[in-house]
This record gives sequence, structure tokens and C-alpha cells, in this order.
Amino acid sequence: MSQYRKMVIRQRKWMLYLLSVIVLGAGFSPYPMFFFGLLLGSVFSFFNLWILHRNMERLGEVAIRKRKRASIGTLTRLGGAALATLIALRYEEYFHIIGVVIGLCLSYAVIIIDLAVYYVMQEKRS
Amino acid sequence: MGALAAAIAIGLAALGAGLGIGLIGGRTVEGIARQPELRGPLTITMLMAIALVEAIPIMAVVIAFMVQGR
Repeated sequence: MSQYRKMVIRQRKWMLYLLSVIVLGAGFSPYPMFFFGLLLGSVFSFFNLWILHRNMERLGEVAIRKRKRASIGTLTRLGGAALATLIALRYEEYFHIIGVVIGLCLSYAVIIIDLAVYYVMQEKRS
Repeated sequence: MGALAAAIAIGLAALGAGLGIGLIGGRTVEGIARQPELRGPLTITMLMAIALVEAIPIMAVVIAFMVQGR
């Protein structure tokens, strides 16, 4: 398995762990509104992460096979974030907006922390 | 006034992100085309850079919608 595929699986796993913790928080904590917002943001964040991984792989293919068109899908991800915010603003009695914002940034935090840990481990090995 | 603020927030953030991602993607594709065996590490580094760049416009979109919603 390639280095990239391993990283993708690792990051998806981390997102799923975080989602399960958030679901537990929404079910059992005294702040369900915040956790519902966090859950909404995280679900859209997971979708954004999936799109990002898929398009990165396609971009590599395009570079190697010298095809012409490639897209990273920034507009789709911005649309996802906008949709999550709109849902949170429309149903503000169920979702806490700050939770949605934190949830939306969760995938980026996962990417940065995962890769930082990966590079530190690689440094230690060499 | 709120709509103008939202438009400026989204527009400027998207402009910055577009420039940044374009530069990152372009250089990475150039690197992969030159050395296809480095595709894995280059893609991983690009992913990290894109994550850093793209968090800001996402925040801007959220802030813009919040401003417009008021």
C-alpha cells in the first residue's frame, strides 16, 4: 500500500473516532446543543476531507499521465461549509453555531496534527 | 450593509485561497511530472499546505453567513 493511501486511511480513522466521541457527547453530556452543532460541522468536515483526498489522488494521476484537466474541489468544500452554516442558522434552536465552526475545522486540525506526528516519527526513525 | 460585508469577506478569502492553492498545486504537479517516484511524499506535503490555506476561507464563509443572517 502506498504512503498516501496509508495516510488517507489513518486520517479517516481519526475522523471516525472523533465523530463517535462527539455522538457520545451529544447523547450523554449536559450540552447537547453544542455537541449537535459540533456533529453537524464534523459531518460536513468529513465530507470535505473525503473530497480533498479524492481530488489529491486525481491530481497526481493527471500529473503523471499528462492529462489536461484537474480540480482540487475548493468550491465544493466551500459550498459544504456554507450549507452547514445555513442549516445551523436556520435551525438555531438545535445547533450551536460555534460548535459548527469548530466542527468544520476539525478535518484540517486532523490533517495538520496527523502529518506533524508523521514527520516527527520519520525524523526519529532516520 | 451586511450583504456587502459578507461579499467582501467571501470574495477576499476566496481570492487569497485561490492564489495560494493555485501556487501550491501548480508547483506540486510540476514536481510530480519531473519525478513521478516522489508522488506520495509530494502529495502528502501538498495536502498539509492546502489544509493550512483552506481553513481561512472556510472561516470566512461561516462569518459571512453569520453577518448576513443578522
